[in-house]
Amino acid sequence: MRRTRILHTESFRLAALFATLFLALAGALIAVVYWIVETTQTAALVNVVEADISTIRNGYRDRGVDEAIEIVRQRLGSSDYSNVDLPGGYILLEDATRGKLAGNLAALPPQLGLLSIPRPHKKHGTVLGKGVYLADGLYLFVGRDTARLGAVRERILQAFAWLAGATIILAALGGILFSVQFLRRVDAITRTCNAIVAGRFNDRIPLRGSNDELDRLASAINAMLDRIAALLDNLRQVSSDVAHDLRTPLTHLRQRLEHAHAASATVDDYSAAVSRAIADTDELLRLFTALLRISQIEAGTRAAAFSVLSLSDLLNRLYEMYRPVAEDHGHVLHRDIREAIQVRGDAELLTQLFVNLVENALRHTPSGTRIVIALDVSADVAIASVCDSGPGIEADEREKVFRRFYRVTTSRTAPGNGLGLALVAAIAKLHQATIELSDNRPGLCVSVSAPVAARPNS
Amino acid sequence: MNILLIEDDIELAQSLIGEFREQGYAVDHAADGMEGLRLASGQTHQVIVLDRMLPLLDGLSLVKRLRAGNVITPVIYLTTMSGIDDRVHGLEAGADDYLVKPFAFVELLARVRVLARRPAAQEVVTRLRAGDLDMDLLQRTLSRAGRQIELLPQEFRLLEYLMRNPNRVVTRTMLLEHVWDIHFDPQTSVVESHISRLRAKLNQDAEIDPIQTIRGTGYKLLAQD
Repeated sequence: MRRTRILHTESFRLAALFATLFLALAGALIAVVYWIVETTQTAALVNVVEADISTIRNGYRDRGVDEAIEIVRQRLGSSDYSNVDLPGGYILLEDATRGKLAGNLAALPPQLGLLSIPRPHKKHGTVLGKGVYLADGLYLFVGRDTARLGAVRERILQAFAWLAGATIILAALGGILFSVQFLRRVDAITRTCNAIVAGRFNDRIPLRGSNDELDRLASAINAMLDRIAALLDNLRQVSSDVAHDLRTPLTHLRQRLEHAHAASATVDDYSAAVSRAIADTDELLRLFTALLRISQIEAGTRAAAFSVLSLSDLLNRLYEMYRPVAEDHGHVLHRDIREAIQVRGDAELLTQLFVNLVENALRHTPSGTRIVIALDVSADVAIASVCDSGPGIEADEREKVFRRFYRVTTSRTAPGNGLGLALVAAIAKLHQATIELSDNRPGLCVSVSAPVAARPNS
Repeated sequence: MNILLIEDDIELAQSLIGEFREQGYAVDHAADGMEGLRLASGQTHQVIVLDRMLPLLDGLSLVKRLRAGNVITPVIYLTTMSGIDDRVHGLEAGADDYLVKPFAFVELLARVRVLARRPAAQEVVTRLRAGDLDMDLLQRTLSRAGRQIELLPQEFRLLEYLMRNPNRVVTRTMLLEHVWDIHFDPQTSVVESHISRLRAKLNQDAEIDPIQTIRGTGYKLLAQD
């Protein structure tokens, strides 16, 4: 099983591919060497043959056919001709009418120029030589056994075979070594994935710290798992919120209906009970919507649709929108908004963030309270704040107010579901903005700091 | 008026059909997307009320196919998908309005009525008249019975929306969406506060209040012809 897996790994395939390429290249190189050796050797052999031919030709020209025969015999007696096995030189001198005059070859039909003839007395091998006419009817062939060439060729081929064998073995070993290592790390990733499938969500892929591509893949997968774990936590949180915190208003609703059922005497009683029940249902739906919205925002998909927008315009609109509302609540709304400040974000969500802050200030402070919407820039950070001169929040409660369903002790009786600031926190986090609650002496100041976006025209 | 209701939740569909008929409307009903597309293509309806998740053909694709086939009947979605993206995608597909379930029937009714009388898109209105109110949309001025009235920008837009839909109920939510581009439910009486200031300015020298409050629902601009 493991063996076949190794053969199927990418690293093994790569090793095999490179081995094949190397072999092909080595083969081509060997072929060239082979060709060069062969042509050089053939040329050398032809030179030797031609030297012999000219010696014999000179003898014949100077002193006639007997001298030629004598030279042939001498040549055949010399060391490089007498050794029949190696290197094996062959000469044939024949006359058209008298037949073979001298030599160690059987009579041949005369052929001129370079030619190959079968090696006498042997099954394999050829004799390469040259045939010439010394005179009309006097034919001379001088040749050499090509066995010597064959020996060199064989050595080249042998060297190549060794090289090929070594390459294949090294490539296979290297491939297996790399593949085993690769497989071991891939197995680690697989094990982690399987563990997560089996429910161990906290498992992560071990990193080697080498920052190679597998390490980078592993850390990308780990980052993905972290993100999924965060989303999962968020989902768990929402479902537990829904399970626990919607139970209370549902209980109220049920009791109200039960009471109406038991105690209502007139149509008006029923009608009033139904109206209250509808109002309760609407409140439940609001709660539900707020919870869903928080979880949607925390999921972070909205950030993809961010654009550069004017926070100054947004807050000015908000001021104009809430000034009459503040008046009707007996509050005074002011603004101190620096113009032309842009941030990157989602207009709808940012509006909701500041609406929640302004409405919190309106709803949780007594009549006569002064509320200021302000916007300024400091070191490329836009600081938007909603400050009131109301009772404020105790320092130890300032962190907790951003939790879902948390309600400041003093405002438990005021209407609201305890999700407003949780939504604010979620929206701010999505915008990579920080929120700070501070003492306005007296009152509460909520500041949202977000990086300023570059103006499109600068 | 003829309404086409495309909704696969039979209980909800029955209840809506009953309510619309009580209001004097004729309702055709389709329980799946393909049937809905077939009926809508006939173009005999003033408004299409469309569930977003339907068997055979979903609401989004249905609207896209209608618009591709040059059917311009106004469409309002009914949907349980309440995310911001859901609304944006829904409107981008070519729908005209969007209502998240569950909803009050009066809210749907008000929106259907506004959609049914929506003027053709190419018609550019520069002047609105309702009763003795006269609004110049280019100069951004308003007069009542010849007397100029100064309005703040948000008050102007509020009245503009009311004057575009005279004698029709517009709900608080519709005003929040169209005047302030607010798509959530504020916890304070934003609309009421602005309406009361608008009323005070309109009625300074007049006997009759043109803005009628519809309790628990919204407002109606009364305009006799």
